[in-house]
Amino acid sequence: MKEQLTESKSIYLQISEMIETDILRGILLEEEQVPSTNELARLYTINPATAGKGVNLLVEEGILYKKRGIGMFVAAGAREAILKKRRKSFEETHLAPLLREAESLGITREELIAMIREK
Amino acid sequence: MKLQCTDLVKAYGTLHAVDHIDLTLEQGKIYGLIGRNGAGKTTLLSLLTAQNPATAGEVSLDGEPVWENREALAHLCFSRELNISPETGLGNLKVKEYLRIASIYYPHWDDAMAKELVELFRLPVKKKLQKLSKGMLSMVTIIVALASKADFTFLDEPVAGLDVVARDQFYKLLLEEYSATGRTFVISTHIIEEAADVLEEVIILRDGKLLMTENVQDLLDSARYVSGKTEEVDAAVRGLEVHHAESMGRSKGVTVLLKPGQAVEESRDVTVQPLSLQKIFVALCGEEERA
Repeated sequence: MKEQLTESKSIYLQISEMIETDILRGILLEEEQVPSTNELARLYTINPATAGKGVNLLVEEGILYKKRGIGMFVAAGAREAILKKRRKSFEETHLAPLLREAESLGITREELIAMIREK
Repeated sequence: MKLQCTDLVKAYGTLHAVDHIDLTLEQGKIYGLIGRNGAGKTTLLSLLTAQNPATAGEVSLDGEPVWENREALAHLCFSRELNISPETGLGNLKVKEYLRIASIYYPHWDDAMAKELVELFRLPVKKKLQKLSKGMLSMVTIIVALASKADFTFLDEPVAGLDVVARDQFYKLLLEEYSATGRTFVISTHIIEEAADVLEEVIILRDGKLLMTENVQDLLDSARYVSGKTEEVDAAVRGLEVHHAESMGRSKGVTVLLKPGQAVEESRDVTVQPLSLQKIFVALCGEEERA
């Protein structure tokens, strides 16, 4: 949770994505407690309700779960679930803009594939 | 606990500084009050805290009128900008004398907290208020607001004159106090961008009237800036709530506020971008482009 917030996206989405990224990178482990909404609020100087909204998105997806009276924890299988979700959205979030930019620059599919092969 | 005003009016001659405002403030939220200079922010805050009599309408706390009601007033604090002009006589008071008066005035005053904040801000308590810089005067109003421990605390321009580090410090203190107590805070500010992430709700005033009260995240989620070739933009936003259209040559940019279920027409060749609270405010309250 050391990334900086940007203005180009909802704060609560950024909070949930940062938690996801920390899980992917092994900074937060499964069955481990995640920072509380008040801690997140203090860390990023944001309203606790906004931090809570970001955390709740992950609860709804089953990536985090709540232990009553203790706090939020990373669910078992969370890492796999995030990988699956991000792979699924990869086409839309990364591939589509790439193809659009390539098209407006007149880069053909063959040229693009060649570029990827060279990398 | 709920602080409510109905059909609230404050008239100075023919000028309606506060013009028929209905507003409900719930406990446990941080509200931002924004509006241009002269929109009526300070007047509204002084009416809500019964520091100024209303021309018409009523302010009530849990249904009880607030005016001259000592019990209700014990729950309210309006820490206004300090006016140290000679007429008020305030400038001759020392910082510690002013804080002492506040400690008597506010029944739930937390003296330990006030002392802690004085040290944190390194305020010279023996100096007279008139010897303080603008930023230091703001620190005094912040200390009064936080240490008052009032359930509904109103701060008028608390960050005016503070440097960027002190402003950040203030918002962190505010969040800390809010997390610990669940008090309601209403903060008026012109530095919208810095406050935006801290606020849960925003109250926008324009010319004495209430333009909107809205959850900040919902408002941000609903706002889009759509730009491109004029015809494409017009087609993309047809039927949507459009504000603040700006044209340059063949291009055009508009701010739209989407209602639930609405979207910008995707098949059009336009750029759609999110907006900050400040930009939404300018779109709603700025002058429309001259024809």
